[in-house]
Amino acid sequence: MITRPTTDVLIEDCCRELTEAILPGLTDETLKLRLVMTETVLRNAAVRAAHEIAWMREETTALLDYAGRVAARHGSEALRAALAEVGPTDSLHLADVADRYERAGQAFTAALAAAQEAGDADLVAEARELLRDRIATEKEVMATYEVVGR
Amino acid sequence: MDALGPRFERFLAAVEPDRAGRVIACEAITGGYSRISARALVRWRGGAEETFILRGDPPPGSGVFTSDRDAEWDLLTALSAATSIATPAARWYDRSGEYLGSKAIVMDCVAAVSLQDEMARAARVDTGAGPLADLFVDTFAQVHQTPLDLLPAQMPRPPDGPAYLDGVLAGYDRMAGKYPSSAPVLRYVSWWARAHQPPPVPLGLVHGDCQPSNVLVGPSGPPLVIDWEFGHIGDPREDLGYYTQIPLQPNVYWADPERFLGRYRAATGLTEEQVNPRVVDYFLIIGMAALLEQLLVAAAAIGAAERPGILASYLINAISHQHDMFLAICDRLS
Repeated sequence: MITRPTTDVLIEDCCRELTEAILPGLTDETLKLRLVMTETVLRNAAVRAAHEIAWMREETTALLDYAGRVAARHGSEALRAALAEVGPTDSLHLADVADRYERAGQAFTAALAAAQEAGDADLVAEARELLRDRIATEKEVMATYEVVGR
Repeated sequence: MDALGPRFERFLAAVEPDRAGRVIACEAITGGYSRISARALVRWRGGAEETFILRGDPPPGSGVFTSDRDAEWDLLTALSAATSIATPAARWYDRSGEYLGSKAIVMDCVAAVSLQDEMARAARVDTGAGPLADLFVDTFAQVHQTPLDLLPAQMPRPPDGPAYLDGVLAGYDRMAGKYPSSAPVLRYVSWWARAHQPPPVPLGLVHGDCQPSNVLVGPSGPPLVIDWEFGHIGDPREDLGYYTQIPLQPNVYWADPERFLGRYRAATGLTEEQVNPRVVDYFLIIGMAALLEQLLVAAAAIGAAERPGILASYLINAISHQHDMFLAICDRLS
């Protein structure tokens, strides 16, 4: 396959086309607004395309590690079931990575619930740190997001 | 004139058959994320002219935010009939959408400007937004003290404040169960929020989109409160928390939170324990619950046969933004 320009660069080029060539020619205010929103979505998609598989795999490892440690201390049936649902996979196809990431998230959520119910403040605090990392990633995707159209 | 004009004219013939209303102009109003709005100039038999605002649902399956037009009409008519809350006169309702293409409310277009615009103008000329901030606070304090027995009987009425909060937090747990990408954050936040509930206050009428853009001010008369689609009975502090995240400048809460809340307490009789910056921070979580659920529903529909439109994709960032705000609140108030 043709590897360069990479997907993110192609999308960013589309963004430039929209904002520099097409937007100035629009007169309908509603269409202008929709184009600005579309360009924002594409810009976010460019960031995701460049990194999302790596980000999801890294976070999946951290979430499962946390869930495993909670299970060792405060194992619950729900947590064991959620962990069993994750399963191993080496696939790097986006849909497979996203699916495993979501299952790891569900195991993490069950682990957090178990830690909360057990009153384990240390494990709850650890979960908060993992969520901090997750938010940092989401903010990186948001890039220069500003509310438009309100 | 777009296709809405002739449809509106047929509607007028049905609701005002003796007045021979002609639609002279009809234009869409841009802005806003939920309803479709248009402004129409009508000339009646005899030459009198009136301007109306038409506020309808977007086509089924499109858009992000949904609300019940019947409930909004019932609330609007109850407010204007029995309370001191001023709204633009709600004139007619196409309850079936037969004429206007979707359920649509027709209101008077008033000679007034948005309080947000007035605040921005005051900020530009450096006169300060203080009196306008007071007007905003007083207006919503009045909304919140609306006697509940004057509201439509069919509006859901929670038993009390704590039960209402429990219901909102249970809603977050329900969302966590349905939307895996948000589940970790929502589970953490709902658990935290249960453990940090502020002292209760009496239930009140909550506007649901509390911001100066939804208050119109004219040269005379009381301020008019518009956009009641998310109005409900709940904890009035939701509106305060909601307003804190409104990005339009100036935001008169952040300009001086103590002044803002001091005036609100004076107007409502609530105590400093019940209304203070930390409590308002908490109620951002409560006040955003309904909208967050609609964002999640819309995001889940992206890629489906009936796509919700580009707004749903655009507002995925708003989901991330809310995750960030909610966790920051948990940290600040812990």
